[in-house]
Amino acid sequence: MKQSKYGLALLLFMAIPPMASVLESIMIMHMHMQMPLLVISGFLMAPFFQSKLPKFFAKWNEDGIPGILLFTLVMVYWMIPKTMDDALTTTSVELFKFISLPFLAGVPLRDSWNKIGSGSKKIVFIVFTALFYVMGFLYIKAPIQLCNNYLLIDQITLGWGYMTMAICFSIYLIYLAFIDKQESPIQL
Amino acid sequence: MNSTAIKEKKIKGSLKEKSQKLMGIGPEDAKLTKSYMAVAFIALLIGGALGLLQGLERAGLLQLPHWFNYYQVLTAHGVLLVLVLTAFFTIGYFYAGLSHTLGGLLPQVRKMAWIGFWMKVVGLVFAVVPIIQNKASVLYTFYPPMAASPYFYIGLALIVIGVWMCAFGAFINIAKWRKQNPGKHIPIFAFFATGVFVLLFFGSIGVTIEVLTLIAWSFGWKATVNVLLSRTLFWSFGHTLVNIWYMTAISAWYVIVPKIIGGRRFSDTLTRVVIILLVISNIPGGFHHQIVDPGMSQTLKFLHLFMSLSIGFPSLMTAFACVYVFEKTGRKLGGKGLFGWLKKLPWGDVRFLAPMIAMIAFIPAGAGGIAQTSNQLNQVVHNTLWVVGHFHLTVGTSVILTFFGISYWLIPYISKRVLTPRMNKVGIVQTIIWTLGMLFMSGAMHWVGLLGSPRRTSYTTYGNNATALGWDPYLIFLAVGGTLLIIGVLIQVFAVFHMMFFAPKGETEFPIAEAEEPEEKTPMWTDRWGLWIVIMLIVVSMGYVVPVVDLIVNAPPGSPPFITW
Repeated sequence: MKQSKYGLALLLFMAIPPMASVLESIMIMHMHMQMPLLVISGFLMAPFFQSKLPKFFAKWNEDGIPGILLFTLVMVYWMIPKTMDDALTTTSVELFKFISLPFLAGVPLRDSWNKIGSGSKKIVFIVFTALFYVMGFLYIKAPIQLCNNYLLIDQITLGWGYMTMAICFSIYLIYLAFIDKQESPIQL
Repeated sequence: MNSTAIKEKKIKGSLKEKSQKLMGIGPEDAKLTKSYMAVAFIALLIGGALGLLQGLERAGLLQLPHWFNYYQVLTAHGVLLVLVLTAFFTIGYFYAGLSHTLGGLLPQVRKMAWIGFWMKVVGLVFAVVPIIQNKASVLYTFYPPMAASPYFYIGLALIVIGVWMCAFGAFINIAKWRKQNPGKHIPIFAFFATGVFVLLFFGSIGVTIEVLTLIAWSFGWKATVNVLLSRTLFWSFGHTLVNIWYMTAISAWYVIVPKIIGGRRFSDTLTRVVIILLVISNIPGGFHHQIVDPGMSQTLKFLHLFMSLSIGFPSLMTAFACVYVFEKTGRKLGGKGLFGWLKKLPWGDVRFLAPMIAMIAFIPAGAGGIAQTSNQLNQVVHNTLWVVGHFHLTVGTSVILTFFGISYWLIPYISKRVLTPRMNKVGIVQTIIWTLGMLFMSGAMHWVGLLGSPRRTSYTTYGNNATALGWDPYLIFLAVGGTLLIIGVLIQVFAVFHMMFFAPKGETEFPIAEAEEPEEKTPMWTDRWGLWIVIMLIVVSMGYVVPVVDLIVNAPPGSPPFITW
């Protein structure tokens, strides 16, 4: 349960206005640092919810698929450039960001990851890798500002951030494909 | 794979390893390491002699002729010692260790190491000839817009590719061993080798891109070059190289030295964690070499501070681990009281004394490094001899004295000879001379640096300016230190070749300490190198994407080549 406390502390820390405004002032830090950290805070808090609401998770997320779908949906939603603009200009959307990423992405990810099979894990990994390439390409190649709040250079930087992450994921996938499972029991 | 096949593999693997350990290194593997060591120490001899010339010129005691000037000598000294000596020693040392711990090198790996060897030698010739012709006096950092002859850069590229051959050779050998030894941990020495070769490969990708660009630029195929980007790519490698030396040195501190003093090594898990942390956090640390470069934002400077200090953390763990092992062993040998255990350590054994002094030197060296990481402090010393003093203490003492200490058992081991008590004495004398030399030279450099004496500048009094004249007494100390060091170099080179060809025949062991008892089981996740590499790449992306995109997209007009000498 210690983890859950750390998770809550992380969430509260991220929500302190100066912290939020620092991370949101640079596009790549907004999307590639604040948002993943919010997901991680939820991921850490998950055991609290799992122990308090075991029936809820058993009933609604029996095989892990609904949870991972919810996670994917929320993540994809926050990859849309317009949503970042909305979060910066509309307080309710900002609030939604601080609720959806920890509780609708982080918590279901933790609950689902051990429930879904290795095949599903691979699919999730591959989907996100492909998505990161696409997003990278979009942000690098778009000739105009996609967000009103960020400059074109910020956008290109974010695009390269996506590209390098996608390359890292690809290397990991290739590594997994090449190792002999029996020798080193590595799982995704 | 079924279980009998696994068992068969295990038996085959362990039999081969045991026979290797009993019989010593195979003649073919020995020849490989011997060749690497020979080149390394010849480079030390030439590079050291050039260092003396430099020291004397810098102190105003000698005027080098125009056809062999200070900057030429400085470039050659840097290339020979910083690139050649360290690269050849590191590869020779780790290949001997891989051969010992993994039951011999695979034939194709040996071939790769030989191809790598010759590529590096040819590359070295390519790099050195333009330096001698005074067409590449760009110092070993080869910052553009100073442009060397394209052949200098081609030589550097060949050296890098040669190193890559050796890195992949090591990976292949380790992967094969893991296949033959399912469920076993990579032996600790091979684990260090993996870390070093991972850094050697990934750390040199940036500089390879830079060098290829510079080749096109110096041939005139490309009109201009992005100066700040080039420097950034250089330091992504330069800083990693520093930590490759450091990791090579600590491999001896963790694994070899405990055996020599008759103890056991520190926790296996923690040792592996230190290696993993060093590999992951290393490459983005390079920015601290560019603190005073224009065009580096405040945010970036803060990031570099964080990344640089995060490398300090595993170093502090190392300091703790080493002293822990010394105290434990000293007490086991009967040391009493608070510091009585210190007396029980084998100070008369060069294989211990040299790395021990190296470790002690790392205390001020590391502290100085941390001071330089701070923006404001760095501005005081950045372009002064302080920095030169700093890396003569880190590389020139902590790393090189460890390498010298290693040579007193490694050379006899590969030559199937022994370290005689007499040679041990020679080694002790060499270590003391080296330590004194560095104390004078590095100490003087630090001090005179604080007084403002510039680095990368030959002797000048700036028209007899009083401040500049005030540096002279310290520069004399620098020259005295340099003179002592050349004596140290001569003794060391003599010792190496004597042990290689003339020492009495016999068996010398490759000293690898056993882990502490009772040994907690090392978790399997430490062996997940693929994961560590991916995390390392993610950290590298976090460090480099923002500045590099900025440096490319917002670049000022590029620079044409300049020959400033």
